[in-house]
Amino acid sequence: MTGATVVNSYLLADADSVVARARAGDPAALERLYRVYESPVYNLARRICRTVEDAEDVQQETFLEVFRSIRKFRGDGSIWGWIRTIAASKALMRLRRNKYRDADELHDEVTATRREETLLRMDLEAALERLSDTARAVVWLHDVEGYTHDEIATMMGKTVSFSKSQLARAHAKLRRWLGEEAAA
Amino acid sequence: MTHLTMEQLLALRGPGAEPGSAAAAAHLDSCADCRAELDRLHQRVARLKALPALRSPRDRLPQVMARARQERRGRQIRWGGLAGLALAASLALAVGLTGGSTAQPADSGELVAAMAESRLLEQALRELDPSARVTDGHTERMAAALSDRIALVDRQLEAVQLSEVARREQALLRLWQERVGLMDALVNVHLTRASRVGL
Repeated sequence: MTGATVVNSYLLADADSVVARARAGDPAALERLYRVYESPVYNLARRICRTVEDAEDVQQETFLEVFRSIRKFRGDGSIWGWIRTIAASKALMRLRRNKYRDADELHDEVTATRREETLLRMDLEAALERLSDTARAVVWLHDVEGYTHDEIATMMGKTVSFSKSQLARAHAKLRRWLGEEAAA
Repeated sequence: MTHLTMEQLLALRGPGAEPGSAAAAAHLDSCADCRAELDRLHQRVARLKALPALRSPRDRLPQVMARARQERRGRQIRWGGLAGLALAASLALAVGLTGGSTAQPADSGELVAAMAESRLLEQALRELDPSARVTDGHTERMAAALSDRIALVDRQLEAVQLSEVARREQALLRLWQERVGLMDALVNVHLTRASRVGL
């Protein structure tokens, strides 16, 4: 299934009614919300987090938060937009907690340069995986999920220029790793 | 000729004009290399959007539902427990006032005031409903640390009910005042975060 197909499936035709019932604690409505959004939430979490286990935890924490807070959802945006922001925030929190590899951005660069000598090209999935956690999160949130640099900066507790420079550096790396320089 | 940087190319993709974007756009009109680079950037983003959706290997709904139920029960127990503590403290205070203890009793007015203030802060926290908010890592860590300390004070309050009357009153006053301080800090943590994100 492609990303575009998934976007179509995010639409919940009877969203108002499902949310109203979920607010009242109706387990069937909560389950419906889970079933409609479990895949996009997992996909977002998995694209940001390094491991399947972390993505599963983020998915679980996201829906727990949704179930806890559904009464606070004001309905001034889409339910998916609200759930997605919770998921993104939980995934970024997970990255901060794990402190995966951002401290070793330098290490990341060195390793990448070394491996570039042996790998002329790699596919987009592999290149995305190879980015530092922060860079990958910024790329995914900006280019795929459509968040602005302002929104990403707020979620990450960083500046807008940090988000912009992370995105630019990430694209420069992707371009190199995907062998697009040779085409230039 | 100096070509556009990746940051300039990305700015050209975004909505609205940024400083220098007019000059960058003018350069783009006259530079085939940069137009090709921008095209590659567009293609790369399109390919990112078209990556296959990844699916969770397991169904987590049963765990999520079970934990949600467990949390609801936990919250009920916590609020019930707090009411019990306040009642126990009030009883201890009443016994202390009529018990004719020879030790120096704590100021009962201060104790009542601390208990009342703690109740008000609990109420403020319930109204803030921090569980309904998305918080950053720093706020979450601070809130978790304060909640842990409040839970510790609550356990000490339970234990102190068993001690000798005058000492009990002094300990109760000290612990309720400590609880007020911690609750106040916790409410402030959530208030500060809420005002920062405009909630």
